[in-house]
Amino acid sequence: MNILTIALRNARKKWVRTLLLLLVFTLGVVSIVALGFVSRVVGEGLEKKLVSYGANILVSPKSEKLTVSYGGFALGDMLFDVSYLDEASTVAKIDGIGLRQNISVIAPKLVVMDRVKDTAVAVVGVRFEQEKLLKGYWLVEQGEVPTRPEGLLVGSAAAAKLGLKLGDAVPLGKHSLVVAGILAPTGNEDDNVLLAHLATVQQATGRHGQANFVEVAALCSGCPIDDIVAQLATGLPGVEIKTLRNIVEQRMYSVHFVKRLILSVSLVILLTGCSMVGISMLSAVNERKKEIGILRSLGFSRQAVFSIFCAEAASIGLLAGVVGYVAGYAVSFRILAVLELAEGAVIAFEPLHLLATALVLALLTSLASLFPAWKAAAIEPSEALVTL
Amino acid sequence: MSTTPLTSPSPILEAVGLTKSFSQDGEPTQALKGVSLSVAPGEFVSLVGRSGSGKSTMLSVLSTLLRPDAGTLAYKGQDLTTATEAEVNALRHGDFAVIFQFHYLLPYLTALENTLLPFMRGLRPVSAGQRQRALECLERVGLADKAHRLPGQLSGGEQQRVAIARALVKEARVLFADEPTGSLDSATGATVMELLGQLPQEGMSVVMVTHNEDYARLAGRMVRMEDGLVV
Ligand SMILES: Nc1ncnc2c1ncn2[C@@H]1O[C@H](COP(=O)(O)OP(=O)(O)OP(=O)(O)O)[C@@H](O)[C@H]1O
Ligand SMILES: [Mg+2]
Repeated sequence: MNILTIALRNARKKWVRTLLLLLVFTLGVVSIVALGFVSRVVGEGLEKKLVSYGANILVSPKSEKLTVSYGGFALGDMLFDVSYLDEASTVAKIDGIGLRQNISVIAPKLVVMDRVKDTAVAVVGVRFEQEKLLKGYWLVEQGEVPTRPEGLLVGSAAAAKLGLKLGDAVPLGKHSLVVAGILAPTGNEDDNVLLAHLATVQQATGRHGQANFVEVAALCSGCPIDDIVAQLATGLPGVEIKTLRNIVEQRMYSVHFVKRLILSVSLVILLTGCSMVGISMLSAVNERKKEIGILRSLGFSRQAVFSIFCAEAASIGLLAGVVGYVAGYAVSFRILAVLELAEGAVIAFEPLHLLATALVLALLTSLASLFPAWKAAAIEPSEALVTL
Repeated sequence: MSTTPLTSPSPILEAVGLTKSFSQDGEPTQALKGVSLSVAPGEFVSLVGRSGSGKSTMLSVLSTLLRPDAGTLAYKGQDLTTATEAEVNALRHGDFAVIFQFHYLLPYLTALENTLLPFMRGLRPVSAGQRQRALECLERVGLADKAHRLPGQLSGGEQQRVAIARALVKEARVLFADEPTGSLDSATGATVMELLGQLPQEGMSVVMVTHNEDYARLAGRMVRMEDGLVV
């Protein structure tokens, strides 16, 4: 039993009020902590993607059509007006720009639909030697990257779904392709498609010398990507040039935006909590005038009275900080699971952060109760005690 | 101005010419108009007088809870009107004890904890010895079996006795009581008075404000106040 007993006993007696304040602060802490964890994981993931994204410029025919989905229903199969690039001339133009030395990979692609065992699947014609440079993360699980013209590289999900094994024959147009390799899961679109030599796909489908789009990898340390895009645009009029970096950056931006949004909401929650603490403490001071008078008549100094009120508020903050941090930690696992980001993500429980959170919260609630505590300390024992 | 002659050669508490006025709605009320009073060690003084005559104000000034406008107040020779806040706090913590008509216990602390309240001023925990002493004091006021009850579970007289136990535990030298029996029925009031009556025998001075003339006569000296003056 000491001076803190007084503060804690009162908090316990007014448990509804204490619980309410605790709830508000815990909520605020949970959202801030969870936000911190989740945005760190998401941000790291995106950054990794940004780095591992081989291609950062996409060259495709300018399409004049409107959206190709309606009411959330993708009309992909109903597309008939697909435009094509001329492979040779487009590649040559890209190859000929002034900043050529900044371009590491030029990877044209032709995507066609095929039916394998009555299942629709996309066959992507690629130049494998370029594609390997572009996708350094590729891991060929079985077999190898095709060398022969009829060779086929199968994405992991596609292989599983279609039941394809090494050496299986896959018809494409008049040709018959042979599975030469199966990719380990990559986590991107490559998992769901079949990859074949571009020339083979062009021949099989009668689209000689045509490509749907060209992926370009620009070397991006001190990346003059905007200049490259500008040079490409003058060389390739009537062609759409998108930088994937922008796409990733846009995604990063939306993450930042959501982060800022949640942060401001959390701050509002904390601010609300602080004013709740302030107001409830202020009314408590009036309610507890007599108690303050007793304490003062027993020789408690103004500072002692002040610290009783601060300690009560601080204990709420401290508890909310601890509970909130732990709960926020748990909640972020759940969020990451929902966002399907959980695997591979490591969020470390840091006792030091827990301590810091608790202390900051304690400080915050004490600050909120500064004025009421000061008012309490200013109460004169006689005015509080003597009944006229 | 009226002065009361000293009843003891060496008063423990001596007030001379105390004045105090309040301003209520811009109108000043002079509650004390220059009162003097001295209290000897172990003396039991009762303060009587009509309502509004200034008894409570007098008691508040004597117990340092209220600063006088003018006059001097000395405890064991130390001038309390010029004492620092720390000195006053030390006095309130140690030698002075105050009990009121409405017992004034902290509602969320048990009888025992309320008794120990003077020792809960800082971070240092209450010692086992202090706790033992508090239990003894509660026993002395007849509340040994109710030490762990909250004030809400005690009768008015019992609460008042807890307040007396609190004065006992810190070994106060002067007890100021403002109508300690005011809210009690006569039987309960009598037990409280009996307790208070024993204190001067142990060397504790008691200054008690009361409206009950019978109780007032139990004191060694009865001081009557009228309109801010001792008569
Ligand atoms: N805080 C205050 N503000 C304004 N006036 C006050 C205050 N305290 C006391 N007074 C006035 O001072 C005068 C003396 O009051 P005091 O409380 O000392 O009387 P009392 O003798 O204790 O009366 P009672 O027997 O009714 O308790 C009264 O006129 C009262 O109105
Ligand atoms: Mg009075």
